[in-house]
Amino acid sequence: MTAALDIADLRKSFGRGADIIRGLSLRVAEGERHAVIGPNGAGKSTLFHLVSGLYAPDGGQIRLHGRPIAGLAPHRINRLGLSRSFQITSVFPKLSVFENLRLGILARQGWRFTLYRRVAGLPGIGEETRALIDQVRLAHVADRAAGNLTYSEQRALEIGMALASDPRVLLLDEPTSGMSRAESDYMVDLIRAVTRRRTLVVVEHDMDVVFSLCDRISVLVYGQIIASDSPAAIRADRRVQEAYLGEEAG
Amino acid sequence: MRIGLGRVRSWLGLAGVLLTLLPFALSPGATGAATSMLIAALFALSFNLMIGQGGMLSFGHAAYFAVGAFATVHAMMAVERGSLWLPTPLLPLAGALAGLVVGAVAGYFATLRSGVYFAMVTLAIAELFHTLAPNIVGLFGGESGLSAMRQPWLGLTFGSAREVYGLVLGWAVLAGLALYLYTQTPFGRLTLALRDNERRVAFLGFNPHRSKVLIFTISAMFAGLAGGLLAVANESANYVLFGLGYSANVVLHTFIGGSTVFLGPALGAALLTLFGYVTSDLTRLWLLYQGLLFVVVMMFMPLGVGGFALEKAKTARSADVSRSAVVYGLRVPALGLVAAGTVFVCETLGVLLSRDYLAQTERLGKMLPISVFGRGWMPNAPITWLAPLALFALGLLLLRLADRRATADSMAESDR
Amino acid sequence: MDFVLFSTLNGIIYGLLLFMVSAGLTLIFGMMGIVNFAHASFYMLGAYIAYSLAKLIGFWPAILLAPLLVGLIGVAIERGMLRRVHKHGHAHELLLTFGLAYVFEETVKMLYGNYAVPYSIPADLRFPAFTLSGADYPFYRVFIGLTALVMFALLFWLLRRTRVGIIVRAAVRRPEMVGALGHDVPKVFMGVFGIGAWLAGLAGAISGAFFTTSPNMALELGIIVFVVVVVGGLGSLEGALVASLLIGLLTSFAAGADVALADLGGLVGLGPAMKAIGGIFTVKLATIAASVPILVMLVVLLLRPSGLMGDKT
Repeated sequence: MTAALDIADLRKSFGRGADIIRGLSLRVAEGERHAVIGPNGAGKSTLFHLVSGLYAPDGGQIRLHGRPIAGLAPHRINRLGLSRSFQITSVFPKLSVFENLRLGILARQGWRFTLYRRVAGLPGIGEETRALIDQVRLAHVADRAAGNLTYSEQRALEIGMALASDPRVLLLDEPTSGMSRAESDYMVDLIRAVTRRRTLVVVEHDMDVVFSLCDRISVLVYGQIIASDSPAAIRADRRVQEAYLGEEAG
Repeated sequence: MRIGLGRVRSWLGLAGVLLTLLPFALSPGATGAATSMLIAALFALSFNLMIGQGGMLSFGHAAYFAVGAFATVHAMMAVERGSLWLPTPLLPLAGALAGLVVGAVAGYFATLRSGVYFAMVTLAIAELFHTLAPNIVGLFGGESGLSAMRQPWLGLTFGSAREVYGLVLGWAVLAGLALYLYTQTPFGRLTLALRDNERRVAFLGFNPHRSKVLIFTISAMFAGLAGGLLAVANESANYVLFGLGYSANVVLHTFIGGSTVFLGPALGAALLTLFGYVTSDLTRLWLLYQGLLFVVVMMFMPLGVGGFALEKAKTARSADVSRSAVVYGLRVPALGLVAAGTVFVCETLGVLLSRDYLAQTERLGKMLPISVFGRGWMPNAPITWLAPLALFALGLLLLRLADRRATADSMAESDR
Repeated sequence: MDFVLFSTLNGIIYGLLLFMVSAGLTLIFGMMGIVNFAHASFYMLGAYIAYSLAKLIGFWPAILLAPLLVGLIGVAIERGMLRRVHKHGHAHELLLTFGLAYVFEETVKMLYGNYAVPYSIPADLRFPAFTLSGADYPFYRVFIGLTALVMFALLFWLLRRTRVGIIVRAAVRRPEMVGALGHDVPKVFMGVFGIGAWLAGLAGAISGAFFTTSPNMALELGIIVFVVVVVGGLGSLEGALVASLLIGLLTSFAAGADVALADLGGLVGLGPAMKAIGGIFTVKLATIAASVPILVMLVVLLLRPSGLMGDKT
């Protein structure tokens, strides 16, 4: 079976002596909930930027359901069924929650350069947007400007925007960072609900979140995946203990 | 609080009727000024599509305005020669088309950059036109420019200011409506998103560069249409239209009017053009006042007059009205006093230092009174300088009082 | 040969003058992220203030005092205006400086009229510095170049050899870091803004007497200075120097070159075809000298927006 995401020998450097991704390989099976963990500066965010198209890799290949996507523009990768959220909230601050999400729905439905129809009159757009708002549980703030939401509401909106294109593969970059325990539990519950029948790749620092949410974990250290296995096996892996968990403990 | 759409519609309808009837109440000269107001308003709306909605600050929008004007003059000349059939009312379409084509090419390159760099590219493109145009005589008519005559059509001679006004009004309303409807389309909503967060747009599946090129092109098309209307009204075009002065004016108009409100830029452009017309007989310092007004608005009303008014209208509650009435009852006359003091000094200095006045003083061996606010003032009399100073000081005092009152009010508010 | 020599000298001296104005602009952008549209106005104000003062206190005191006044105006603008609108973002700051440039031009027109004022160098300074194959080279031009060189040396010393300079250079790269280290970043900003304005004012005071002092001078020079700063790389002082000389030489040679594009095309066999098309191709390079730097800026912006030496994009 083709993997949902198959990364082989990926490389990215930001000038001499700044090799961030150094021959990284990773397979994510269809329907998996896969966490990428690793110490700060290991290259987790860069990996997401490469997969989602923000950066073009220097070498290696990325396949999405068998299709090569390395070096494609972000909007192309998005249309091929991969969507992402951002670690630092990236929404449209002056637009309402409804508008933020509606834009995603419009893009998916192909209303991109439409200048001859009023958005209010497009069939199904409003309903779908409202369904998405309900899904990420933001109905109570649907008309509020995104910039005026609370932090965790913005994080939920961030996930909603990533979901709007109905992706088969969803990348979430530290969805619970900066949250209290209760907020974080709520977010895990939300993520679990919205990622049914999708492939999820998540970068996360909070080990409780990782172990409760994911069924497979990869450990990224210094630009390479050093282990990729079930949570239990990762917990037991000595190399991981040394490279990562050990560091956390000490 | 939302402002009822129905009420907005009826106000706009009333405005439309007034605009249509306007020339019947005006002299031909004043009708010409009204025509200029409409053109400036449309130009500002086209500019605001870029900055207010798309978040792209163009410092060279006059380029597309001028391209439209020249294309329209060329079309007029062709009609005159008989080598083109195009009824006079449709002439501005040539301007729109030229704006669209040139805008698409310029926009393709300019939108490769963003922020300050985008502004610089647009400035450079316009300056390139401005420096090259006088040398390309065939296209732009050299230093003296090009001119042509409006031809009669269907019994309309287009010889009177009134007919020209009608033509311009028709196009301006049509274009304004089109620009408003634009904001209601899916692409119009995307435009706002590009302003807010360009990067994110790409991760929703939109192609940001292509989208920005399209916004630029549409904006340039409407700027070209406005330029075409100017060419029809003036029956000429000159390379100075490419100059930074026109690009600067539209920036000033838009931000004084308020770029966050759809009609803000149009109102700003119309009012400033009107003031320019009214005061041009009274003072040669109008441009200075316009610049000062812009600086003051940027400092103290960052959303422009329109944005400020809308903000107040939204937040105003009936309980506050009497309170803010006191504050604004102080602020408005205070600003008037400060403005009067400024104008007083500027007018006096402007005359006192002018070559004519200096030569006259030399010739007569004495100074003559300078006329400001309908009264003569001797430059060497203390009152001439104390009077504006007093106006200024009184204005500042009132402003201080208003500020204190406003602070007290907001503190009372938070205590409740 | 003489043409080459004179054009080179003129180009270098004009380039050094451009550097005096662009140094402040590029430093201000590097540190504060502000493209100061009013920067060339400081140059104009320097010339006009020196013109007025020269009538009262004489030429030399005037060209010393005028730049100081311009520097104070710069400080007042930074403290009183830019700092207040900082919270609305860079676009807003840029628009404010744009408005100020507009106001300065109109103010000068109000006070001095729409045309050039008779600001000129004293008669005892009108002598040739040297004679080259029969042609005199004016001393004052050399003086302009020397002043600019001294200013460059001073600036270089300030930035490289003093504590304040280290802070300024660090603030160009990492303003928030420098603030976190306990340095008074606003004061550094104010100082750089003031010194930048002072330098531009000095350039205006000195060169206004040699070239023309008119209300257009800010706009005309302003565009060239933008070209310099962009080509050199926004924020880079060394880049500004190199680009100043480059643009100075380019304009100097373009202004004197008696060739058209079609003539250049002739070198590769395209001459007749280009002449047949006419229009832009038969225009003499000298007549479109004003367009050349702008074209250079456009190309740099599109191909290499970080400029020759900039490291920020």
